[in-house]
Amino acid sequence: MTTTATPRKERHSLYAPEPFINRIPQWLSVLMLGLLGLSAWQLVVSLELVARILLPGPTETFEEIVVTAQGIVTGDHVAEALWITLQEVLWGFLAAAALGFFLGVLTGETLLGQRAVMPYLVAFNALPKVAFAPVFVAWLGFGVESKIAMALFIAFFPVIVDTAAGLATAEKDALVLFRSMGASRWQTLWKLKLPHALPFIFAGLKSAAVFAVVGAVVGEYLGGGGGLGELIRLSAQYLNLARVFALIFYLGLIGLALFTLVGWIERRIVFWHRPEPTEIKGA
Amino acid sequence: MKPQDALPSTDTRSRSRSPGARPSNGRVVLEVDGVSKVYPRNSVRALDGIDLEIHDGEFVSIIGPSGCGKSTLLQIAAGLIPATTGEPRLEGTPVVGPRRDIGMMFQQATLSPWRTALQNVLLPIEIRDGAKLARARSDTAMELLHLVGVGEFAKAYPGELSGGMAQRVAVCRMLITEPAVLLLDEPFGALDELTRDRMNEELQRICLERNATAVMVTHSIAEAVFLADRVVVMSARPGRIAEIVDVDLPRPRTFEMTAEPRFAKLTQHVRGELDLGGQL
Ligand SMILES: Nc1ncnc2c1ncn2[C@@H]1O[C@H](COP(=O)(O)OP(=O)(O)OP(=O)(O)O)[C@@H](O)[C@H]1O
Ligand SMILES: [Mg+2]
Repeated sequence: MTTTATPRKERHSLYAPEPFINRIPQWLSVLMLGLLGLSAWQLVVSLELVARILLPGPTETFEEIVVTAQGIVTGDHVAEALWITLQEVLWGFLAAAALGFFLGVLTGETLLGQRAVMPYLVAFNALPKVAFAPVFVAWLGFGVESKIAMALFIAFFPVIVDTAAGLATAEKDALVLFRSMGASRWQTLWKLKLPHALPFIFAGLKSAAVFAVVGAVVGEYLGGGGGLGELIRLSAQYLNLARVFALIFYLGLIGLALFTLVGWIERRIVFWHRPEPTEIKGA
Repeated sequence: MKPQDALPSTDTRSRSRSPGARPSNGRVVLEVDGVSKVYPRNSVRALDGIDLEIHDGEFVSIIGPSGCGKSTLLQIAAGLIPATTGEPRLEGTPVVGPRRDIGMMFQQATLSPWRTALQNVLLPIEIRDGAKLARARSDTAMELLHLVGVGEFAKAYPGELSGGMAQRVAVCRMLITEPAVLLLDEPFGALDELTRDRMNEELQRICLERNATAVMVTHSIAEAVFLADRVVVMSARPGRIAEIVDVDLPRPRTFEMTAEPRFAKLTQHVRGELDLGGQL
């Protein structure tokens, strides 16, 4: 008799068992966590751990979202506010994208930019930029201009910094190759450095999409003007928090839509590079 | 023996070629004349008095310890960085800047991932003559891709190519301008050994077919000997030519030859010179 047949019991694996979360599809875990969160919220409200007036429940909030949606469809004041904020966000974002790209290329392409301008940008980027909101209101008044300026101001830093950083990512050998082919500076920028920088530029644009909403709303909190931010501030003053949550929901939709749009354009243009699914920087 | 003394003798030998060597009219294509290089940034003396003549249709390997200035030498020859003293000359005229009749290749294929293999091959033409004239050369580019065996991948993007295939495309990109001399800096250094052997065989075939003049930097003694008509052995700090070894093996060379005693003798000779060079 040989001893080749080891009893099954003794051959149990020394590897850790496959974690449960790996065995279910991702959408299911996302859904389950969401439901868990909602239940916790409902529980807190049902047990009246927090005063009702301070924390509306998920059902109330959902109702408010639906009511608000009906109002938006009929073109009420929320629809107007949404339209105003949307415009501020879009113009702020587009201006931030254009200006950020332009300054980013200047910074990344020139020695002066790399040596002298970049340190300032990094320092500026570390400032709490929302603190500048009153300045823009003082300069530009209570209209959409001050909000667009605020959105632009908050959103264009990541575009500059990421564009400038992206230009530096072309491989050294590729740069030598371009020089050996007699490429001009313009050709090297256009055919080598910029395409290499595109994934970075889009990462910056995605941050800008989120920041533009932040900028517009902060501007509205301080400078009024009839946008969603103003409505939120008023609703909060009347302690209508279900409405506040519903409005924040629509605000979030603006940011998410813009973010998704930029991501969609990125996948079209930068087809050779797959970004991480959640390359968003914190505000 | 000073390296400078070694040069004239080996040069006369290389002109009287062995029967297996490629026919050459002995015309000097690339000439490096007393080139020294001190990098001003860190005052590193990278090269010291390099004299070298590369003849028409000749394949020269350069081998030496890391940091002995091999890449520096190639870049000076290509006109990418200036020599501190001395000058490189290509077909008689001093090289004072990037030259379009020089083809280069590096350890990384450095293909543009947003261009198809075909578009990558056409890049040098596009940069020289514009996109329209580049497209007009598509047929030539396709021929080259077929020549190196990646014709079916002309429409593929670099992300879909293996490392070996990417380097084949890089070979085509280098050849499309029909350069007078090829400067190769460890072109297959990043490939696995099997692929590398295949690529070396192909490179030899292409160079023979096109009677190309080439200088290749390598860290592999076997590769240096396998490909070269002459192996330039360099020593470090400062970078000098320690010895030039003639390789009188018949062409085309095959991998069976690498098992032969005369191949072993040559690699041993080079290794010996390398060790000496290290002690200099
Ligand atoms: N741009 C540069 N500025 C300053 N020093 C440099 C520069 N490039 C190379 N050197 C120095 O010059 C010397 C030769 O470098 P080089 O790259 O030519 O060596 P190499 O023989 O190609 O080395 P390797 O085999 O590692 O590729 C090294 O000491 C290196 O540190
Ligand atoms: Mg090198």
